[in-house]
Amino acid sequence: MVMSFFRKGETGIEAIAHRTISMLGDARHSFDLASAAVLSGADPEAVGADVRDTDERINRAEQEMRGELVVHAAVHGTENIAVVMSYTLLIKKIERIGDQAKNILDLADEGVSLAREPDSDVLLEHRRTISTMMSEVADLLGEPDEEKVADFRERADELRRELENQIRGYMHSEEPASYAVPRAILYRYWKRIVANLAGVITSVTEPLQHQGYADDGETDITDD
Amino acid sequence: MQTATDSTERGLPTWARSVVVFLLIYGFLVGVSLLENGIKVMGADTQEALFSSVNNPLAGLFIGVLGTVLVQSSSASTSVIVGLVASGALGVDNAVPMVMGANLGTTVTNTLVSLGSMRQSAEFRRAFAAATVHDFFNLMAVAIILPLELATGILSDLAESISDQLVGSAGSEWKSPIKKWVKEPVGWVKDIYEGVGLETNLLGTIMVITGLIIILLALTFITKNMRQLVADRVERSLNAMLGAGGGTVAMLLGLIITIAVQSSSITTSIMIPLAAAGVVTLPNIYPVTLGANVGTTITALLAALAASRPEALTVGIVHTLFNVTGILIIYPYKPIREIPIRLAEGLANLAVERHLVVVIYVVGLFLIVPLVGVAILR
Repeated sequence: MVMSFFRKGETGIEAIAHRTISMLGDARHSFDLASAAVLSGADPEAVGADVRDTDERINRAEQEMRGELVVHAAVHGTENIAVVMSYTLLIKKIERIGDQAKNILDLADEGVSLAREPDSDVLLEHRRTISTMMSEVADLLGEPDEEKVADFRERADELRRELENQIRGYMHSEEPASYAVPRAILYRYWKRIVANLAGVITSVTEPLQHQGYADDGETDITDD
Repeated sequence: MQTATDSTERGLPTWARSVVVFLLIYGFLVGVSLLENGIKVMGADTQEALFSSVNNPLAGLFIGVLGTVLVQSSSASTSVIVGLVASGALGVDNAVPMVMGANLGTTVTNTLVSLGSMRQSAEFRRAFAAATVHDFFNLMAVAIILPLELATGILSDLAESISDQLVGSAGSEWKSPIKKWVKEPVGWVKDIYEGVGLETNLLGTIMVITGLIIILLALTFITKNMRQLVADRVERSLNAMLGAGGGTVAMLLGLIITIAVQSSSITTSIMIPLAAAGVVTLPNIYPVTLGANVGTTITALLAALAASRPEALTVGIVHTLFNVTGILIIYPYKPIREIPIRLAEGLANLAVERHLVVVIYVVGLFLIVPLVGVAILR
């Protein structure tokens, strides 16, 4: 602890930035495992412990980072306050992605398995797209690029609309509940994950008061 | 996301800021020497009139509190005390209670910082307790050590023997190398004032005022620049502390941070928002404040380097010994160690219930009691 004063190292905000990316990596890991349990026939018990451990790690990281952000504000005063607030919002969104991955696992725990179903390919394609988006967000947090961010936000908006249409479709579906309900719930979780990813990415380019919103603060991205 | 401002990117580059700090330390030493010389220029009668009131140790203690509350820096007030001792106008025996008073007075800063959380009860309870644990520890230390010192002279005797070993015995002239470096600018200032016709008491007074201004400005800017220079290191080590908890290592951290920023108030005030947010617990903050108590004594030792009498160094060492002894008496045994924590928690609970308690406590402890004390005892 004392030696850390004398050692050269990354600044507090740099450390938080790296931990944020690692937190997003953990969220992706949870998402992939939980999705495999629902969509690829992986044993929910076998992956459950890993998903829950990863979620606990994400939660712990969020709590520790909140403390570190308070330390940053206490040491540096108000000069970086916007960055501190951005990270506070951002890590909460990533923590929610971890929770939503756990919610997907809950579906598998309830016996939902959508492997080898007629729409499996579509579902697996969505899973792949969302997982790749998580990796893209991590890359953009590490190396911000306004053009790539704009492109990402466009694709995220499109995907959210598509997922929303699927949810509405299942709400009015003639199919039995055992078919429509798990899909509606799964699409709902996916939509929220994509919304949280879009919210995270707004922190790269948007001013603090518009982060988590689209259209210059007009549209709430994350809680729709 | 807006990019975080790196502390080395703000304003001056690190090397330039280091040069500025070096020059400011030099300015600080010139200020102490000016103060010493200013007092010497005054006549013996004036010196007697100025310092007779501190012959009573309790009056000295209260003057130490008031002086430090006024300048919001024990580093500044103890440096002034060292300068006064160096001039020969103030004896070591009279300076010791003043130094202890300075230790008490410096705790007002973080108590004032904690008032920023007053509107949120839970936050305020934590912040106020974190601030006042420092007060209660220092009050306990004074209550135990001051009578002991008055009865036996143990601290000043020990400090004097250390000082003897280092720079020679009391009453002799110490050929400090630093003193030689600051002699020239002090002479220039004196020449300028004499050139406009100032002499004896007026010349001495103006030199003392100039010295005080230089000391305060230099310390303010040293602290400001050092804070920027070491901000990232402070942040990193505090983050390490969040994971590791308190204890003697936290005390060492408080000591190092305070030596680096030359201000215990900065160290302890940084801890208040952390306490308010619940990021650091009161038992973890407590040792950091004790380390800060010891760390802040480096300034008086530094000031003594510019002095021409070994007694100045003796007072600086007394300041260090007082804080180390306080820790050795109060901290090791858990039931005694926890007394300041319990008192701070109790006062914080009262303060949350009745905000008037806060006003009575702050104004009473740091202003009314010392003012009344000085008025009665001088």
